[in-house]
This record gives sequence, structure tokens and C-alpha cells, in this order.
Amino acid sequence: MLAALSKLSKVKILRWLANQYIDIIRGTPLLVQLFIIYYGLPQIGIIINPFASAILGLSINTGAYVAEAIRSGILAVDQGQREAAAALGFSSAQTMRLIILPQALKTMIPPVGNQFLLLIKDSSLVSTITLVELTRTAQRIISTTYKPIELYIAAAVIYYIISLLATKLLNILEKKARVSE
Amino acid sequence: MSGNEIIKIKDLRKSFGETEVLKGINLSVSKGEVVVIIGGSGSGKSTLLRCINRLEPFTSGSIFYNQQDILQTEMVRNEIGMVFQQFNLFKHKTVLENITLAPIHVLKRIKEETVKEAMELLKKVGIEEKADVYPSKLSGGQSQRVAIARALAMKPQVMLFDEPTSALDPVLVGEVLWVIKKLAEEGMTMVVVTHEMGFAREVADRVVFFDNGIIVEEGKPQEIFNAPKSERLKQFLRRIS
Repeated sequence: MLAALSKLSKVKILRWLANQYIDIIRGTPLLVQLFIIYYGLPQIGIIINPFASAILGLSINTGAYVAEAIRSGILAVDQGQREAAAALGFSSAQTMRLIILPQALKTMIPPVGNQFLLLIKDSSLVSTITLVELTRTAQRIISTTYKPIELYIAAAVIYYIISLLATKLLNILEKKARVSE
Repeated sequence: MSGNEIIKIKDLRKSFGETEVLKGINLSVSKGEVVVIIGGSGSGKSTLLRCINRLEPFTSGSIFYNQQDILQTEMVRNEIGMVFQQFNLFKHKTVLENITLAPIHVLKRIKEETVKEAMELLKKVGIEEKADVYPSKLSGGQSQRVAIARALAMKPQVMLFDEPTSALDPVLVGEVLWVIKKLAEEGMTMVVVTHEMGFAREVADRVVFFDNGIIVEEGKPQEIFNAPKSERLKQFLRRIS
């Protein structure tokens, strides 16, 4: 959110920072980003546990994609809305909060939702930095039972159910956002 | 210079890149006066309105509102209402919320009071039954009347109308002009950019003819429409009739 607003900001340095952040994160694989945080940071003296690394990595990564979705949502709002707001005396912060963002939300929900679905599935990557999550748990059980097909399929089903629930939730949100149409 | 002068524009110039769209405009508007601006498209009339409430920065010259330079005061936008060609209603708010939003957040007034006033304004523009619907359910004429009510809710001293009927079906033009006429009768100071010559003739105290970024001719409606002096105005009137 902050990145999206910065990228649209008139302040050059903010815009530059946001651009760099978004370009770098989108241009590199999540797996490498996670490795840098978990294995790389300790080398320069920042020791961070697997769970915190995972949260940090996934947040930074998703943030960059969501920022782009938010930005395009904001840009999709008709210029006339800003002018009407300005003519009525709203400050630019008020205009953003009361008029632009609520309308941008509607166009933002599908791409942001998409990103969250990706996030659920990408969370399987954090098993590589020793965090015990769903995929890792499956691997552990497999190592004692030697039943990879059953267990990986079970894991897949669980991911699928979580994603399905998230999709349902998003559909409800989308419907709510469309009451004004 | 009379104390009645609410807007005074001095040698206003505005360029978009290389093109100069306003080439030295001098115009003043007195309290209670209805000034109608006519002229071909691209003649700079809308740009002038947009400069008056600072939607558009200008290149040189100055605009005074109640003797104050508009670039020096924050009050201008609150006291000058504007109605756009495309209505620009807030699409995510109901009709009533469209009207109360600015009084609540800009003037920091109590919600209940603003709702009461909004209902009165809706009655005035003749659509109180639409208070709770969203703008997407309104016709163009209804939308524009809501936009007028929204601007009036700020209790402006001056109203600017930027081609308020140009985006409307011909059958809906009348209902909007009726509202503007009513405001004129109540003594509201207004600057109206329009292509409705019948309306200009009937409501204007003064008609200003714009062509190619300058004011070519101004005067009472009878003078402008019945006895145009300049060749350009004569041509313009021939073309639109």
C-alpha cells in the first residue's frame, strides 16, 4: 500500500524507492529472496529464525505485487472524480481516502485476491528454509512411511481446500464492493 | 471599482505547451450577476472556468475573489461551486452521501444537519425520492441536478457551470436549465459556459463571446444576439442557428 502510494507520489525520491523495490522483487525468484534472508542475513550479523524469515520474505514479495495491483486500481479511477473532489475543497489526503481508494478497491479486489492465492501456494517454498509447514510436514511423514503419493496428494488437497475457501471469501468481497453499480 | 465585484480576472494567460489557449482575459463578475460565456469549442471558455477555481494552473495574470488573489487564499474552492459537463458524481456513494460528504469532511459539520439540508436541496432540484440510490441508477438530467445540489451544499458564493447540459439527451436539458434558472432568480452569482443560446438569452445578465482565447465581444443578451458587432460573432451566430 505504502509502495503503491509512493509510486504515485509527486516526491521523486519516494517514487524512485518504490520503483526499485517493486522492480527488484518482481525480477527475482521468491526462493532466492528467501535464501538471502535466511542464509544470507546471518552472514552480516543479523540472525533471524526460520519463521520470521518466512514471514518477512513472503510479505516483502507479496507486497511488491500487491503494490502494483493497488496502483493500477487507483489509476483506473476517473480523473473527473479528483476534479470534483478538488472543486468541493477536499484536501488531497481526503480525496484519496474518501473518494479514490474506495472506488479503486473494486478494481483492486480480483488482482489482489489472485496474489493472495499465489501466496498460499508459495508458502510451500518456505519448507526449504527448514520451516515446518504443510509441505515439510508431508515430507517428514513420508520419510517414515514411504508413501509419497498418498501424502503429497493429501497435502495438495489441503492447499486446494484453503485456496477454495479464500476464493469464496473473495467472491463475497467482490459482490459487496459492487453494490453501487 | 465597485465593492460588488466578486470575481475579477486580469490579463489571464494560459498555455498548454506551445499553444496559448487564453490570450489575456479581462473579466469581472458582480455579486448576483449571471454571466453566460458562449463560443466555439476549443475557444478557451472551459479553461477559464477551471482557472477560476484553481483546477488548472495559469501561466500569467491574476484572478481575484472578493479582492483576494486566489493563489493566496485557501477559501476559494469552498466558496466557489462547480458543476461539470460529466457530472462527476462520486460513484461509490448514494445521492444523499454525495451531497453530505463535503459539508461533513471539509466544513466539519454535524452529519444530521447536513442530511436535513441535503434533503431540502434535493427537493429544490426536484429529486428527493432518489436520495438513497447510487448515481449509476440516475439519468443524465437527474445526475446533473444532484451535482448542482452537491455544489450548493457547500453554500457557495459563486457557481461555475461548465457546459452543464452538453452531455445530456436533448429531452433532459430542460430539467437542468430549469434548476439553473431558479438559482438565477434567487440571486446566485453564476458563470455559465453553455451552447444553449435560448438559455443564454433568457437568463444571462451579460453574455460574453469567446473566440480563439480572447473575449471578442460582451454585452446584454439583446445586444449580443440581435445586434452583434464583430464579424466573428456574426459568423458564430449564423453557424449555430
